[in-house]
Amino acid sequence: MNPLPIDPKNLPLVSGDPFQGNLAQILLLVILLGAVAYLLLQHGLIKSKMMAWAGAGLFAFAALMAFTSIPMQLDSIVRMCFSILAVAGGVAFVTNREPVHAALGFATAVLSSCGVMFMQSAYFIAAATMIVYAGATIIVFLFVLMFAQKAQLQWYDVQLTSPVIAAAVSTSLLLAIAWSVSESGEILPVKLDLTRPYSLAAPGPSPGLTMPPVPEASMTQEQLDAFVPGKTSGLGRSMFTDYLLAIELAGTVLLVATIGAMVLAQKPERDLS
Amino acid sequence: MINNLINSLFEYWPVLWPALAAIGVILAVVPFLGLYMTFVERKIAAYVQDRVGPNRVGPFGLFQAIADGIKIFLKEQLIPDHVFTALYFLAPAFSLITAMFALVVMPFGPVATDYKDGFRFIVAPGIDIGILMMLAISSLSAYGIIVGGWASNSKYSIYGAIRSCAQFISYEIPLGLSILGVIAITGSLNIEKIVEAQSGSLFDWNVFWQPVAMLVFFTAALAETNRLPFDLPECEQELVGGFHTEYSGIKFVLYFLAEYTHIVTVSFLTALLFLGGWHFPGLPGPSGASTPILLLGLGVLLAKVSLVVLVIILLRWSLPRFRFDQLMGLAWKGLIPLGLVNLVGVAIVLSLGLPKHLLIATVILPVLGAYYSAAKFNASTAIPNATRQGLSPQGAVSYE
Repeated sequence: MNPLPIDPKNLPLVSGDPFQGNLAQILLLVILLGAVAYLLLQHGLIKSKMMAWAGAGLFAFAALMAFTSIPMQLDSIVRMCFSILAVAGGVAFVTNREPVHAALGFATAVLSSCGVMFMQSAYFIAAATMIVYAGATIIVFLFVLMFAQKAQLQWYDVQLTSPVIAAAVSTSLLLAIAWSVSESGEILPVKLDLTRPYSLAAPGPSPGLTMPPVPEASMTQEQLDAFVPGKTSGLGRSMFTDYLLAIELAGTVLLVATIGAMVLAQKPERDLS
Repeated sequence: MINNLINSLFEYWPVLWPALAAIGVILAVVPFLGLYMTFVERKIAAYVQDRVGPNRVGPFGLFQAIADGIKIFLKEQLIPDHVFTALYFLAPAFSLITAMFALVVMPFGPVATDYKDGFRFIVAPGIDIGILMMLAISSLSAYGIIVGGWASNSKYSIYGAIRSCAQFISYEIPLGLSILGVIAITGSLNIEKIVEAQSGSLFDWNVFWQPVAMLVFFTAALAETNRLPFDLPECEQELVGGFHTEYSGIKFVLYFLAEYTHIVTVSFLTALLFLGGWHFPGLPGPSGASTPILLLGLGVLLAKVSLVVLVIILLRWSLPRFRFDQLMGLAWKGLIPLGLVNLVGVAIVLSLGLPKHLLIATVILPVLGAYYSAAKFNASTAIPNATRQGLSPQGAVSYE
């Protein structure tokens, strides 16, 4: 099944440490500071190149600190490199003035996050992200940018129309993410519920489970297989039981988007008079 | 700290060295294959056009490919004035990287699914989303073309890039649809397991119960290689060279190596997914097999692959290029409905528990579709009967 024979006591790639409380506070601080810095940037209060270099230096320092604090193993180093590349791609995406370059920065960020997911053994979600975001969405972005690009940069390439709203929305999104990852047990990464039949599919945590799931020596081969699902049916089962609500919501959003695309694609009626 | 790193290297070494060895094999063989496929292509083109083809360098002209390679390596590096330099250099490299990276999950020889230690004919064995990974990486190969076309900053390049964009997005969908049936019955996305499910008799090969899926897959995959019936992004008569108009020398070679690597990938995938992979009636499977049996399996797989490669090359020299609306129509009105109907058939067979070989009846679908579209075409063009029989006033040749 797996090239690495699963030794339940020593899984190589699963790190189960939950976030500590003060880490959540640090995350909160970082997000708020980032929002303030972004607003200052947008209002033109920070203009000098020195500040940009200071930011880059801070990032390099943080990366160095992360490198020294992680265990020096092959997989953690590769994962760290992917993370740094992802952050760098994100920064390039936000700061670049050339739309095509910004889209390529976005692609870099998405692909590097896929690399992080691969290193965490989340193969399916990584491949799906690659297909949907990097393979389709960003290519459509590039398509539109190439078609619509003017010779010079327009004012809307350089300046945001409403930075305050953008900062507020993104701050609340980031806070939601930080909250959900720091509250251990709220979002369940893997579930080992082999008892629930398909027909009783319901969102939310299934009863009688301890999180995070850890493979134990007493597990049968079937349960270990469920931990590292090798069959497509396991994937489908998980999608339509554990993540039913998310799937249905995503389907609804896609349906609405399809209808919207059809409405937008209709040519406005010509005035023939 | 460094000790830790070295220790982890040692710890991973038993699973690391087979992967590194397989990477070495791929890196060594694929460029060579690409080089020699140009030779085979030229020879076949020559025979199709009633010529002799390259026959001067070495016996039967066999060293022609190497001579071409050396020549193109020594070309001058021309960098036009108007390009965006960094992306202009990155794009061909990215094109080749994505083409090669898709080979990571592809078994290029018999691989047993019990995954013993030691050398295996695959870089990353036991990836449970193998085929999905393949699709994901091949969907990235559009970047090389798009970025190259944009960075060249000339109108022919950007037209090529835009055409390739539309083509990629359209043909991704039938490509994914076509393999869904195979996945649904095999129950795994793992390529090795899909091949293992085709062991046994000849009629266990997927092509015998998923002929439509194979047709759709092969067509869509061919479209993703940008080869001649689908080479709108680089068609010489309209766009000079399309996305690679401004490229010369080694950067041009990188693009073409990427294209030939794509052909290798497509041929391997067709052989693995539909033609039974390394299985042949009478040949035992790779699980616990001795080395000669493994080599025989490798030979069988390579024979099937070269057959598909020959078909692809022959197609290039026998079919004319599509018009762009025909290209889009083929994807959206032809391949996607075929794939959907095929998927519905698979779902019916699976949920009613019928034997899967009933699905061979789907072979009637493309025939019906072709008949219908031909009838529609004839009705819409409304060529007078006299012209159609070759009896037009000018004595013109028949349209059919």
